[in-house]
Amino acid sequence: MKNRLNKFLFDFSVLSIFRRGSKNIFIFFVFTLLIFLLSSILFISNSIKSELDITINSLPDITVQRLQAGRAINMPLSRVNRLLAIDGVKAVIPRVWGYYYFANAGVNFSVVGIDQFEDQYRDLYTKLCDKFNFDRLKIDSGMLIGSGIDKILKNNFYQGYFNFVKPDGSLIKVKIDGIFNGDTKLESSDIIVMPSKKVREIFGMKPDEAVDFVIKIANPSEIPNIASKITQLYPDSRVITKEDLKISYQNLFDYKGGLFLALFVISAFTFFMIIYDKASGVSSDEKREIGILKAVGWTIDDILKEKFYEAFIISFVSFITALCLSIFYVYFLNAPLLKNIFIGYSSLKPEFDLPFCFDFQTFSIIFFLTVPIYIAATIIPSWRVASMDADEVMR
Amino acid sequence: MIELRNVTKEFKVGANDKVVALKNINLRVKKGEIVLLKGPSGSGKSTILSLIAALNKPTSGEVIVDGKRVSKLADNFTSLFRRENIGFIFQRYNLIPTLSARENVIVPLIPSNPDSDWLEDRLKELFQNFSLESKMDVIVKNLSGGEQQRVAIARALINNPSIIIADEPTANLDKKLSLEFIEILKKLKNGHNSIIIASHDPLFFDLDFIDRQIDIHNGEII
Ligand SMILES: Nc1ncnc2c1ncn2[C@@H]1O[C@H](COP(=O)(O)OP(=O)(O)O)[C@@H](O)[C@H]1O
Ligand SMILES: [Mg+2]
Repeated sequence: MKNRLNKFLFDFSVLSIFRRGSKNIFIFFVFTLLIFLLSSILFISNSIKSELDITINSLPDITVQRLQAGRAINMPLSRVNRLLAIDGVKAVIPRVWGYYYFANAGVNFSVVGIDQFEDQYRDLYTKLCDKFNFDRLKIDSGMLIGSGIDKILKNNFYQGYFNFVKPDGSLIKVKIDGIFNGDTKLESSDIIVMPSKKVREIFGMKPDEAVDFVIKIANPSEIPNIASKITQLYPDSRVITKEDLKISYQNLFDYKGGLFLALFVISAFTFFMIIYDKASGVSSDEKREIGILKAVGWTIDDILKEKFYEAFIISFVSFITALCLSIFYVYFLNAPLLKNIFIGYSSLKPEFDLPFCFDFQTFSIIFFLTVPIYIAATIIPSWRVASMDADEVMR
Repeated sequence: MIELRNVTKEFKVGANDKVVALKNINLRVKKGEIVLLKGPSGSGKSTILSLIAALNKPTSGEVIVDGKRVSKLADNFTSLFRRENIGFIFQRYNLIPTLSARENVIVPLIPSNPDSDWLEDRLKELFQNFSLESKMDVIVKNLSGGEQQRVAIARALINNPSIIIADEPTANLDKKLSLEFIEILKKLKNGHNSIIIASHDPLFFDLDFIDRQIDIHNGEII
């Protein structure tokens, strides 16, 4: 008998929600909006964070640039052998790449020569590309582009190719061989991959030069040692370790995180305002009703159970509605407005999609920050009223 | 049997003041007896009814119903006691205005999760007895005063209570409806129920089916 769900009590709760319809509709809207904001913020920040983690993991151990008058200039390939001779260095990979400014769209493309460091990136790019084939890339001399670039080129009426302007003003036409799965990678969206030879042509680089070197190290704890040896060997070097990059990436993210937090605080504040309002009193009608229920034989437990159902139904329906809206907004609509407010990337780089990233932890954080708090805020004042003498409450 | 032993009830008014509503009341109502409490307004009639229904606790003295000391019961047990024993027809009816007649009548049964078929039969019987069949699904705030009272009576009876309490039942009714209520009351007297009515309406003063009349003045029985 005891654990059978009391259908009458449940029906009474549902009825009560509708009886106080306008009040509950208001609560439902505000509550749904707040949960929607909160979960959207968490979803976006989770997505970006997971993207950054992937990016950080794929960072090179050491990157070496050459400085002249404080500016990075190209590296002579002749330095490779002496760098390789340093103890602990596993490989030195010259990179050929550059930012190509596409004036029509006002964006920079990262153009990367692939055959020079395919070992390091083969796994990553294999994952990224629709139908990736390095060998074909070498022969065809075409290029692979990120999905963001694909959109930009299509908007500018390029179909299947792009004309790069060389430093001497002449054009070089490059065929598009494939498109990255842009939605899996924040960074890859604006990347163009092509043979190094073409990259050199586009940026006017000499055949015996690279933009920088990526150095692979056998033992990660040796990174600081090797970094200082490189500076001794070539005092005009700027040595950037994985750790440095990690920190700058994380700073970028933490800065965003701060903004996210600000919005989070605002929504939490509004939420607590509502709760405060609810907690500070039960309306006189509701109070009288509690008195009546008690007078006709409801125990405090019965009354609280009823209030619990009411609060649970409202807050849980709000929660589910907000969560669905939020998933749709973030992952299907790609979070218009919110994403742009929080991601500086989009001003510099082409669009990217937020990867779907939803775990039980996020779900429970959102749940526990909202539903139980609302239920408590509803039940506690009712409990205070229900504990008084029925006679007193009905007056 | 209902028994009040040396019952005194004081109400706090403001910080220091108090009102003595009942002074050393001793009263017995036997099973099946129908009793009228009469006396002017403010004499303490409603307070006695509240104490019997355990809606309130005496300042001193005891209220005993069927051997149970209801004045000493913990809050949850007073609710259970009312649910099982008391049918209270309140002066202002105390219906839930936004519920229908039918929903109001069901309210006392909800916590005990009754059998649906049994409930339907019981509702039908009650609504027929009180000529309310056509009003079952009307929201009670749209019912007339007399209809509201009959809904309140139906609600008080749904649990088959052994004690029926009515506080100023004719205060809000015209002469015709008051006489109708008295007819209902007569029918309720079936030997199993104790009925306690508080009223200063002279209509009640010479009804032969009322077993006893008790005069209250300034919180004392005279
Ligand atoms: N909750 C209360 N707080 C303060 N005074 C009360 C309360 N209930 C009743 N009284 C007082 O107790 C006295 C008796 O009231 P009541 O029992 O309602 O009388 P009656 O029902 O005979 O009109 C009155 O003076 C009334 O003002
Ligand atoms: Mg009274």
